[in-house]
Amino acid sequence: MPLEELGMILALNDRTPSERAMVPQADWAADGEDGLLLAVDVEPSETLAQAPLIGVEFPAFNDGRALSLAVLLRTRFGFTGELRAVGDVRPDLLHYLVRCGFDSAELKSNAVSASGALVSTGFNVLAPYRDNYQASVVESEPAYRRVRRGA
Amino acid sequence: MYRYDTFDRQFVNERVAHYREQTERYLAGEIPDEEFLQLRLRNGLYVQRLAPMLRVAVPYGTLSSEQLRRLAHIARHWDRGYGHLSTRQNMQFNWPELAEVPDILESLAEVEMHAIQTSGNCIRNVTTDQFAGVASDESLDPRPYCELLRQWSTNHPEFDWLPRKFKIAVTGASSDRAAIAVHDIGLAVYRHTDSGVCFDVYVGGGQGRTPAVAQLIRQGLPVQHLLTYTEAIMRVYNRYGRRDNKYKARIKILVKAMTAEGFQQRVDEEWAHLKDSPSTLTEGEIERMEAFFRPHNYPAAEAFDLGGERLRDQQFDRWVRTNVTEHKVSGYAVVTLSTKITGVPPGDVSDAQMEAVADWADEFGFGEIRISHDQNFVLPDVPVARLSELWRNACEAQLGAANAGLLSDMICCPGGDYCSLANAKSIPLAEAIQRRFDDYDYQYDLGSLDINISGCMNACGHHHVGHIGILGVDKKGAEFYQISLGGHSGEHGLAASLGQIIGPSFSRATVPDVIARILDVFVAQRVEEETFLGCFRRIGMEPFKQQVYERAA
Repeated sequence: MPLEELGMILALNDRTPSERAMVPQADWAADGEDGLLLAVDVEPSETLAQAPLIGVEFPAFNDGRALSLAVLLRTRFGFTGELRAVGDVRPDLLHYLVRCGFDSAELKSNAVSASGALVSTGFNVLAPYRDNYQASVVESEPAYRRVRRGA
Repeated sequence: MYRYDTFDRQFVNERVAHYREQTERYLAGEIPDEEFLQLRLRNGLYVQRLAPMLRVAVPYGTLSSEQLRRLAHIARHWDRGYGHLSTRQNMQFNWPELAEVPDILESLAEVEMHAIQTSGNCIRNVTTDQFAGVASDESLDPRPYCELLRQWSTNHPEFDWLPRKFKIAVTGASSDRAAIAVHDIGLAVYRHTDSGVCFDVYVGGGQGRTPAVAQLIRQGLPVQHLLTYTEAIMRVYNRYGRRDNKYKARIKILVKAMTAEGFQQRVDEEWAHLKDSPSTLTEGEIERMEAFFRPHNYPAAEAFDLGGERLRDQQFDRWVRTNVTEHKVSGYAVVTLSTKITGVPPGDVSDAQMEAVADWADEFGFGEIRISHDQNFVLPDVPVARLSELWRNACEAQLGAANAGLLSDMICCPGGDYCSLANAKSIPLAEAIQRRFDDYDYQYDLGSLDINISGCMNACGHHHVGHIGILGVDKKGAEFYQISLGGHSGEHGLAASLGQIIGPSFSRATVPDVIARILDVFVAQRVEEETFLGCFRRIGMEPFKQQVYERAA
């Protein structure tokens, strides 16, 4: 996908979004420079995880397969490159993406500022909660191992 | 019962703030309808036929008197003075204003309650035995593990956008009052002499248009692995469950397609990576949770013989027989307060009734109340010596019906009067049946009988597991009802079973007569104290079919 067709690319953490092109799996080579664009139903592998940039395409904003795919790439296949959400990505779901290991998201609108705050209300859509119960890609331990519960 | 700590309070308060902000943006036109729909569902808000409906979570059906008083306040202040007990042990309000829902949620948060994930395609409120912790046939109180699952599943980053809704039920007793066989995940918890607290894990049960009994995929799962094993199941389902057709999206369809063995193998492969990960439960966390549910400090109750009072008052005697259940601790009893009064929609309770129940929970117990999946209130710790006093109070408040488990104690969904999914009305039919069989003597003679009514095949009224199940169907624009026999949710140590359809459907006006004919067959054929279910399992469908359709022809 040529870069100029992309919408606004928002960084979800400190990593600066790459300007590499992303190509579909059929056109992608592990030894090349291109990023890889994956469908949500693909089986992740170590080969795919060698890509410097992986875009996971949300066919619909409420398709949770993308979240499991991201978790697997991060926790099982050692993917350390940039993970980007593309397709039907909505500001109100970005906090799930952050916790499943996405680094960036391509948004169809300019509703979110570079800091992750909504332009209209200033609400931070990347981290609506200071803490969560579970372990996640960005929080290796569940609350009961990190926080003094019962206080 | 469980009490919030600073962590829980912070999370729930932030959730209220989050949803308030989303509601305001939606009302300002900044969130599209189809997206806000998903956000509001995850905060308990449906838009139904007449008005929005807010489903408040009552985790595993346990409430404090303070919480119930708050629900009464909400009913009075934001609703029309009543609430509805759902078949998933929750409380529903039928008339809240969409813009005011954040205020209701804030009020709930003040008493450690919420409406998180009570709808939407996510992990729903975990349900259990309404007699958990007090039932005499219980090996282990399932609620500590329900609470561990509740916290783990709340705002889970990976599993909040599943192919379809996901329901987990847990039982710790020999009589399965939680109906685990018809849940997406059913857990039977017990203490093993060597390995301690363990779970048998069943998956793929459910009702709806493709009913299925759950399959055992792991036996004796030690408690520390509860969350990682559940995570493995959820990941397999989230990745491979169908998303192209909502009627084929529940986990039962996936389990069927992969076979139980295939599914189990897939889960085991996934679990091999997750087992012993940091999400493994620590001893400290398990103990912390178990401590919330330790038995109360029961003052020794003097031995009390109810015999005299029961002899003197036949009504009281019946109530004791049907609505009082044996308690673990002698001198105490478990009381079911029936909401099933003819003319009142099953499960509907007024603000005044809620406050009365809260007062009784304080006066006759330890301030604790349960909601049962058959839409009644339960007071878990009533001294036997005070049963008659409680019963008189309950009668005055229209909660003293002596019908728990009998014909008139029907499970019934809101149906076509409220729900936009329904094919047919269910509440007026429940009332017609209650009126047709208003002779309590006849009901006692019939004994244990579950009549479950659903207004459509989504089966919120659990018709598949009713001894007599009634399903509303649309027949060329007219409301008809299909009747099935022999369903069972798994109580009394009998294996769960799904009802079989008796034949062509009936108009609403004829249903009470059809049920009368079915019961005539039972009465004629029953052996001694045989139950309807026992009789059906012995003689089969044919005699019922003959009587119903020959006489109808």
